[in-house]
Amino acid sequence: MRTAHSRWRKWQANVGWGASWLATALVLFGLADLVITIVGRGAVSFRWSMLTHVIQSTPSGLQNAILGTLELVVLATLMAAPLGILGGVYVSEFAPLQVAKTIRFLTEVLSGVPSIVVGYFGYLLMVLAWGWKFSALAGGFALTVIMLPYILRNTEASLQQVPLSLREAAWGLGMTRFQAISRVIWRPAASGMATGVLMAIAIGMGETAPLLYTAGWSSVNPNFQLVHSQVGYLTYVVWTYIEQPYESAHQLAYSAAFLLLLVVLFINVVVRALLTRRSLRG
Amino acid sequence: MSQPISVHNLKAWYGTQLTLKSVDMELPASQVTAIIGPSGCGKSTFIRCLNRLHETLPGARVEGDVHLGTQDLYKVDPVDVRRMIGMVFQKPNPFPTLSIFDNIALGLRLGGVHNRGQLREAVERSLQMAALWGEVKDRLSEPATSLSGGQQQRLCIARAIAVQPEVLLMDEPASALDPVSTLRVEELVEQLKDTYTIVIVTHNMQQAARVADETAFFLNGEVVEFADTTTIFTNPTDKRTEDYITGRFG
Repeated sequence: MRTAHSRWRKWQANVGWGASWLATALVLFGLADLVITIVGRGAVSFRWSMLTHVIQSTPSGLQNAILGTLELVVLATLMAAPLGILGGVYVSEFAPLQVAKTIRFLTEVLSGVPSIVVGYFGYLLMVLAWGWKFSALAGGFALTVIMLPYILRNTEASLQQVPLSLREAAWGLGMTRFQAISRVIWRPAASGMATGVLMAIAIGMGETAPLLYTAGWSSVNPNFQLVHSQVGYLTYVVWTYIEQPYESAHQLAYSAAFLLLLVVLFINVVVRALLTRRSLRG
Repeated sequence: MSQPISVHNLKAWYGTQLTLKSVDMELPASQVTAIIGPSGCGKSTFIRCLNRLHETLPGARVEGDVHLGTQDLYKVDPVDVRRMIGMVFQKPNPFPTLSIFDNIALGLRLGGVHNRGQLREAVERSLQMAALWGEVKDRLSEPATSLSGGQQQRLCIARAIAVQPEVLLMDEPASALDPVSTLRVEELVEQLKDTYTIVIVTHNMQQAARVADETAFFLNGEVVEFADTTTIFTNPTDKRTEDYITGRFG
């Protein structure tokens, strides 16, 4: 009786483990397939000359898309990082309970909005109504909307992890709330805040949908005008050129995906390093 | 110059829960007053009302008045109150990312002292008073977290006295420390009382007997008995005080 029961339990355990392994393997297989395809095809397709040539020149290159992505992400980060960090500080340190709850809820909603909707909304508002046309600024704003919730929530979460005892030490010394945050509280939270910004940059860099309707596309280098001038970007190359029936177009698409993968990987490594440093410091 | 604190009809709430029920006390200047009582009796809440830290907690509320000398502390900016009334907490809480030097200098800088020489002098003086100078004088630029627990607590005391408050509140300052560090903190209290009015919350009755001139016994948010320490420990008038100090409860 007992042995039959324990055999049944053992069988259940094995089925459970088996299912878990299978699920993990499926996920890893998908990921590995993706990475191997991109790295394999990308590394073969990539030419150093792609860094120095725009897409419509011969040989064809990615310079316009790289510079465009850079311009868009820098613009978006310049807007999203200060807003997100200050917003996170406000929610964590200053906002009355109800206001904090409301902002938190709105942030959740914002991060749940499909990015194509953000793009189309940007199109109606900035490109058409405000007359900016397809432009870097419109694209930058659209990316800001995507990036902002990550930075805000990460800032708030890292500040919330700073123990109350440290705040009380600062207040007990006669610091105002603002002095406490600007002199003391932000320091232990800094690597967490930086992580949020970096993750947001990685996410912004990989976005396509919000840019389709706002940044447009340009096959020449950006002229760094904020409005009335379209910009190219790497994800557009991936999205469009993979559909074209030419091997040269495919090479560009895979190279663009390869570059994006490398940059995002690099950002993730930096984020890991920041997080380890934080946990080492306690 | 240290000044006495007088407390009248002080009540404190956490949400709807009344934690302090009408406390009246006169805390004499340049003396050590110990607050003893069982857990949850309102000791910490009481001293956190003196520097207005209680009201920083969400849902917390205070009524009544607290005077430092002639000044009504609930009519001035709480930030100014906390500059006059320093506090040392139960667990050492140095600013973890700042150096030993900056932990102490920060309060002074916020108070408007920026002269390098003046800062050094004040940091040294505070560390001397906190009996820590000898141990850290060669490593002032190291992070405060490199110190031991007992040293960190003395650093926190140095940080509190560096800005020259008139009162020093200590919320079970030795409860997280080993016996040797505890002894050092107690010696320190003895030395500091000439300069400051000290209010110390403690769980440890021997400690109260050792360091305090006056002792107040709190129970359920009320002051049961407040007299000089010898009287409280040898000849208490209230039955409940006697029960507590003889270890019958708490």
